[in-house]
Amino acid sequence: MSLAAAREDRRRTVIDVNGVRLGGEFVVIAGPCSVESEDQTIRTAVAVKAAGAHMLRGGAFKPRTSPYAFQGLGLKGLKILDKARRETGLPVVTEVVDTRDVSWVGEYADVLQIGARNMQNFSLLREAGKSGRPILLKRGMHSTLEEWLNCAEYILAEGNGKVALCERGIRSFETFTRNTLDLSMIPAVHSQSHLPVFVDPSHGTGVLGLIEPMSLAAIAAGADGLEIEVHVDPPAALSDKDQQLTPGAFETLMKKAAALRAFMETLNSEDEVAGASPYGAAKDAFADWVD
Amino acid sequence: MIEAEQDSEDSQLMTLKDIREDIDRIDARILALLTERMERALLTRRLKEKVEDPGREAAVLGRVRRASRGVLGAEFSEDLYRRVLGEARALQARDPKTVGFHGEHGAYSEMAAWHWNAGTVGIPCREFSEIFDGVEGGLFDFGVVPVENSLGGLVGPVNEMLTETDLHVVGAVDMPVSHCLLALHGSDHREIRSVYSHPQALAQCRRFLARNHLDPVSFYDTAGAAKMIAQERAKGAAAVASRLAAGIYDLEVIKEDVQDAASNRTRFLVLAREAGEGPGNKCSAVFSTEDKAGALFRTLEIFARADINLTRIESVPKGPGDYAIFVDFEGAEREDRVKSAIEEAAAATREFRLLGCYEERKV
Repeated sequence: MSLAAAREDRRRTVIDVNGVRLGGEFVVIAGPCSVESEDQTIRTAVAVKAAGAHMLRGGAFKPRTSPYAFQGLGLKGLKILDKARRETGLPVVTEVVDTRDVSWVGEYADVLQIGARNMQNFSLLREAGKSGRPILLKRGMHSTLEEWLNCAEYILAEGNGKVALCERGIRSFETFTRNTLDLSMIPAVHSQSHLPVFVDPSHGTGVLGLIEPMSLAAIAAGADGLEIEVHVDPPAALSDKDQQLTPGAFETLMKKAAALRAFMETLNSEDEVAGASPYGAAKDAFADWVD
Repeated sequence: MIEAEQDSEDSQLMTLKDIREDIDRIDARILALLTERMERALLTRRLKEKVEDPGREAAVLGRVRRASRGVLGAEFSEDLYRRVLGEARALQARDPKTVGFHGEHGAYSEMAAWHWNAGTVGIPCREFSEIFDGVEGGLFDFGVVPVENSLGGLVGPVNEMLTETDLHVVGAVDMPVSHCLLALHGSDHREIRSVYSHPQALAQCRRFLARNHLDPVSFYDTAGAAKMIAQERAKGAAAVASRLAAGIYDLEVIKEDVQDAASNRTRFLVLAREAGEGPGNKCSAVFSTEDKAGALFRTLEIFARADINLTRIESVPKGPGDYAIFVDFEGAEREDRVKSAIEEAAAATREFRLLGCYEERKV
């Protein structure tokens, strides 16, 4: 492994997605778990944009635990996301589950997400690498950091440098939460790799009341951004109804996040003065731009 | 899930759904043929004395009766055709203006004709020469032809024909061309391998096709490709054509705006036998110059001195060392400076011909 590993000069990767700089600024990706309808998607997109989100998420292809559960709208879902992007200007992040879909999803979306269940789907990783599109690579629920970074390596090895990682919780013996959100991965990724690392507290906890505190904890730990599920009407959602925030709750979270980030900046600048910042805030000085 | 299994086991037997799909396909063909029949009927109006022709109608009804067999009763066929002939007569009496255009219904040229005049009836033509001949011979009232595209440059054969025709330019439409990838409803877009369209449209989508591992296959027309996909029920195939074509041939728009460049515009000219009425805002002319130094420059200088903005200058080879020069310029013939510039240019060149002064519409 060499392409994903931290560089000697500590330069970090910054990925430009239509003006949103993954790794270069704090980025919040928000939106519904699944694209269910044009109305639901566009209303959610407008709401998350108003609350300050930088990108829109939404699944058109859903890898579900049960084959009988809602599998996503497919192509129709992609067209709806495209429309939501045109209406709000938010770049779109959406999951790709099938190698045959990679190029097509790339026609509609700005960032392709590879989900936890597909993290080690190596043919999908290679195809994602060949597409040249920015990739958000989620951590597999049973994967070690090394395995995770090796999967990023598959994409990088195809000549696609636009990879961002996303911690979304791992399986543990705890059943109160859906997964155990492993926030230690944020500083760990920053020490071992130059790639940006996001946190998904929605899947990471699966418990509505834990999303806000874990989002704030992720910010405190230095995450490059958050991916949060928001739905205009969570009880009516076709998937993940128990972990999607209302637009109101998301707005509250965004306000607290802004306040915490301002505070964190003051801590980091003290670090810099003392020369003690290991992976501090002045990222631009070390940035390696990938366009 | 159980139902799906049963369906696949009895795959040899036609289901109600299969048969109804066939019926829908047949209806689509009947309607397309009826449209074509009405268009032909409309064209006969220009070639006969008056609308009514009882002898011809009796011959058609007689043939229809004789050709009715099996489940199709002669009475029914005759009734149906009386309705068809009645509609054809009504159409001829209404006598809408016809416009010959290149390609099948849903072609960009037909869209341009509608932008120019929404009340016209488009008549599909296979060749550009059919349009010129049809207008010259009085079969069509107008013809619409593409002359230049922002990506593909000038449309060669059309410009050659324009140098030789006696037709007048009576209108122009400058229109954005947005290509769509079209396939049968319900088909899996991931199974698409071949994409049919006019070579110029395919060239404009080259990078999109390459990214998605699609093989381009040349076809004589964009809308014609869409029609073929719809009629053949072609699996694993798609067409690059207009959104209008998707509606006409009942195809699904897999992806809009598949052209590589953000801006893709085509300019169309509307042709007629007689010069257009109304002042217009644009003129087109064609001429040749002496084969000597500065000849073209001195001609263009006439327009520059008159402060007339030339919007297009194109040269079309006519023979070794001989070129036809096309110029389009802003202005109306009735303006004095335009009129005198035209007279001066006509005197300074060979075979100067004003193709027309017309209204150009930018969509």
